[in-house]
Amino acid sequence: MRARALTRRSLLKTAAAGAASTLLPRRVAAQGTLASLAPEEPVDKTMQRLFGSRPIRDGAALIALELPLIAEDGGNVAMSVEVKSPMTPQSHVKAIYVLSDRNPRPLNAKFLLTPGSGQAYVATSLRLADTGDVRAVAEMQDGGLFIVKRSVRVVVAGCAI
Amino acid sequence: MSAIGEVKVRVFGSPARGSVARARALLIHPNERVERKGGKPVDRNYRFVNRVVVSYAGRDIAEFDTSTSIGENPSFGFAFRVTEPGTLKVTFFDTHGGRFERAVEVKSA
Repeated sequence: MRARALTRRSLLKTAAAGAASTLLPRRVAAQGTLASLAPEEPVDKTMQRLFGSRPIRDGAALIALELPLIAEDGGNVAMSVEVKSPMTPQSHVKAIYVLSDRNPRPLNAKFLLTPGSGQAYVATSLRLADTGDVRAVAEMQDGGLFIVKRSVRVVVAGCAI
Repeated sequence: MSAIGEVKVRVFGSPARGSVARARALLIHPNERVERKGGKPVDRNYRFVNRVVVSYAGRDIAEFDTSTSIGENPSFGFAFRVTEPGTLKVTFFDTHGGRFERAVEVKSA
């Protein structure tokens, strides 16, 4: 009985740790099985899953999304996002989402930032499955959402992703 | 060839105290992508980096939730405010319990 109670407790604990989206370290070593990955779905569905029916405004004046026009190798496409915003506790960019419209799992990455970031700037290299749009969504401290898109021509696909 | 699990962190320039600096962190890691057979994804436990935590002077300042659609040997550029001289630490976590980190001292002027 005792062993069972402990198991249940630890399960609840890990569930709680997984649910909390804080900067605290998660206790669970997440798995890489298909079931634990984001589902394969069209990008609109991912957008719906992430942002529901919240209004998303055009972020052209705020967000600089840098990508090559032509990506020779879809397996490694340099990308950077910079959002013009103060980074104070009262007003800052809370998160930057990067999505690739043509990837089976469109969400490439979610970057959570804090005022300690100083600047809402992130960069990485993406895998792109096909020619299409890459979008960056900035989520502000007050919950406001802004989006920009850039089209990238992929010469050699980043394969199944 | 670098070894799997090696982390490199580079801070650009010599940031003044109170300024915002940029840095880049790189991990040598296959960051496996999902395989397909006849169009169907193969169900196995893929090894990829799913989380990166950046801390400066003992405080977590950014966290990245990442996926198989980040390239092999994932690298991340980011900014941080140099509030005081301190240690910049970047920790990569993968789906197989791997934890790879590197700390660099930032000597602000």
